[in-house]
This record gives sequence, structure tokens and C-alpha cells, in this order.
Amino acid sequence: MKLPKLLIGALVVGLAVQTAGCKKEKLPKTEAEKEAAKKNLGSCPACGMG
Amino acid sequence: MSDLIPSIACNLDFDILNAALPLFAESRVGGIEWAFDALYNVEEIPVWFTDLLHVYSKERRLIGHGIFFSLFQGRWTIDQQKWLDDLKQLSTTYNFDHVTEHFGFMTGRNFHNGAPLNIPYSETTLAIGRDRLARIADACRCPVGLENLAFSYTIDEVKKHGEFLARLIEPVNGFIILDLHNIYCQLHNFSVQFEDVINLYPLDRVREIHISGGSWEDSMITGRKIRRDTHDDSVPAEVFSLLAMTIKKCPNLKYIVLEQLGTGLKSSESKKGYYDDFIKMESIVKKNLIDRSQSTDQSFLPIHSLQLDTIVEDEHLYQQQLELSFILESAMSHQEARERLMASTLVNSSWKIEEWEPHMLDTAIKIAQKWKAE
Repeated sequence: MKLPKLLIGALVVGLAVQTAGCKKEKLPKTEAEKEAAKKNLGSCPACGMG
Repeated sequence: MSDLIPSIACNLDFDILNAALPLFAESRVGGIEWAFDALYNVEEIPVWFTDLLHVYSKERRLIGHGIFFSLFQGRWTIDQQKWLDDLKQLSTTYNFDHVTEHFGFMTGRNFHNGAPLNIPYSETTLAIGRDRLARIADACRCPVGLENLAFSYTIDEVKKHGEFLARLIEPVNGFIILDLHNIYCQLHNFSVQFEDVINLYPLDRVREIHISGGSWEDSMITGRKIRRDTHDDSVPAEVFSLLAMTIKKCPNLKYIVLEQLGTGLKSSESKKGYYDDFIKMESIVKKNLIDRSQSTDQSFLPIHSLQLDTIVEDEHLYQQQLELSFILESAMSHQEARERLMASTLVNSSWKIEEWEPHMLDTAIKIAQKWKAE
């Protein structure tokens, strides 16, 4: 399916910003942040079970 | 030209999205499957992600794949009601072409932790499953389906799974996600042939196929290699072979979905492998046209009115599920798990724990302990 160019551009920028943010992060994570990261937001733990 | 829709499992996971970006840019992704209930603790969802969902929704190419409903949980909970309420609300925001959930009950004492494990195939669990599917259908007002489970305790369960799925979905005129990697796991873990298993599924009810990768693990109990549906690697060649063999058997097939977790898409090599897997899947789809003359023009929308008056529950089943979850999550060894199970209320019951294969009990322990709440 063809996606609007603007959307592709927004995806590129959004992912780049997120990646850059992850690389810059050096501060120790809080327990809440560790828990959230552990859950691997958006992934499918149910599908990846077995 | 094939009318099948090559799709990807696409969630708010930056590794998945980065891997899929070339596919989006090349206009190859026909549909996206979204685990809509996985964002429960995300406060801010990027606008570009919701825009992506809306674009597919507008074309009716957005499919929803729930994780946390725990379809066969014996007791009805407020979390499940909230899940339905949230789905109802989401269904006004997005046009889901269909919604699916996983087979099984979720271990763990927290609604958002745990793993789906198998349940006895009994009239009790049939009634609960049918009730829950009817409620999902009522919430989303679109076709509803169930995915086959990778995990089984026995070969008997493997062979009865397809028939049980067919009975479950019948009242809502529902459909099945046929996860071929899940079947691949069973072929290895129970030493059975594909032909002996696939024809036991209601293939005219398959609307969606999943393909994915997984991993191998050595069983400490039997020494054999166990195939795990961990979704963290590229699709094995054997699964592509199963896809080529299966497409034409499913007259009402619509979506073929490539799944891979972000944890397996960190490196540039893995992202390249993901892209190649999609191209291979796309190629197989184009080469295997379905004879639609065998199709029943199936909308998979409910035909009969949904029975929603009384919530079906079974407290005895629920207590057994809690007991099983606790044993699996806390056992320090296979031997301890077996001893505790044999002293539990599950002995001499429809759970048939006495027949569980040792290597699959071992796997259940690992699954439960991997996903339990800390």
C-alpha cells in the first residue's frame, strides 16, 4: 500500500529522534523506567512466548 | 494478481519500525497488525504512529491483535471488562478489518504480566471461550478470530487443537489465525508430520496466516532440542515451505503477516534479514494464487445474535489456573514442579497432568518464569 510521502518523512524523523534520544541517554534509569523497558513497549509477549 | 495482503506485525517498537521503514517506503506493506492493548502504560503515543494507524485504518487494512484479554480465564474480572470497553472505544477511532486474540489463559497475578498457556479442551472451557469471543465481537463490531497456540502439553492436544478452535469460533462465525511457526514448533516438539496436523484444522476458516522465527533450546529433562516460538529471529526456510504448501488450502485467506520482535531486530544484519523475509513472503504469496471459486464469500461477521446476558464463569477452573500458574512460576526445578502438580487439585482432572510430556512441562516452567511479574 502506498503511504503519503509526508507520513514516510514523519516516520523517518520520528524514528531518528527516538534513536538519537536513546543514544544520548546516560542517566541511570528509575525502577519505573526499567520496568517499562523490560516490557518492551509495543512488542507482543504473547506471540513470542513459546 | 494475488488478492492476498502481505502484512507485518507493527507496534510502537522502534526496532520493528526501523526495520520496516524500507518496506513502507517501497509501498510493499499491504496491511499492519497492531497489538492495540500493548500501549497501556504509554502516556504519549507519537503522532506519526497514530497517523500510520489511521492511514491503514482508512483503507480497512488495519487488523487488531490483542494480547492481554486472557480468553480462557475462569473468573471474569474488571480488567477484562475494561479491556472490552477500551476496544469498543478504539473501534470508534480506527476501522479494524478484524480483531483477534490469543488462545489460552494468561499466567501471572497481574493483568499485564504472564504468558498464555493451554487449557483443557472441555465443555467448560468451550463455553467460556465462546462467551468471551461473543463479547469481543460485540465490542469491536467486526470479524473476530483466534490464533492457534504454539504450546501444547501432549500430542493429543496438538491433534485436537484445530477441532476445538473450530467449535469455539462457530457461534460468532469467526475465523482462525493459522500461525505456521507455531505449527512448526509442534512438528518438532512432538515429532509429527505436517500432513498429520494441518488437515485437522478448519482451513476454510483461516483468514490470516502468521510466519515468524524462533529459537532452539535444550531440554534439561530429555536432552532433546525444543523449538520455542520466541519471535526473535528470521523465518526458517521450513516455515516458508509450510507457507507455500498452506496458502492454497485456505480458500478464505486474506492476510499473511510477518512477525518479529524488536529484540531480534537490533542489528543491521537482522534488519536486512527482516526485509529479505518480507520479500520472500511476498514472492510466495504472488506465486500461490488461491482458487476463490472454493471460497464461501465469507465475511466472518456474526450471523446470529450474540448471547451476552450471562457472563460464563467457572470458579473451580479459575482456582486451578491460579494454582498451576503459581507452581510454574515458583518451581525451582522440573522435579519440584512435577511433585507439586501431583499434590495439587489438577491431579485426576480434565487437565490430564499425568500425561504431560516432561519436556513440555519444562518449557511451560520456562515460559511462566520468563514473563512473570517481578
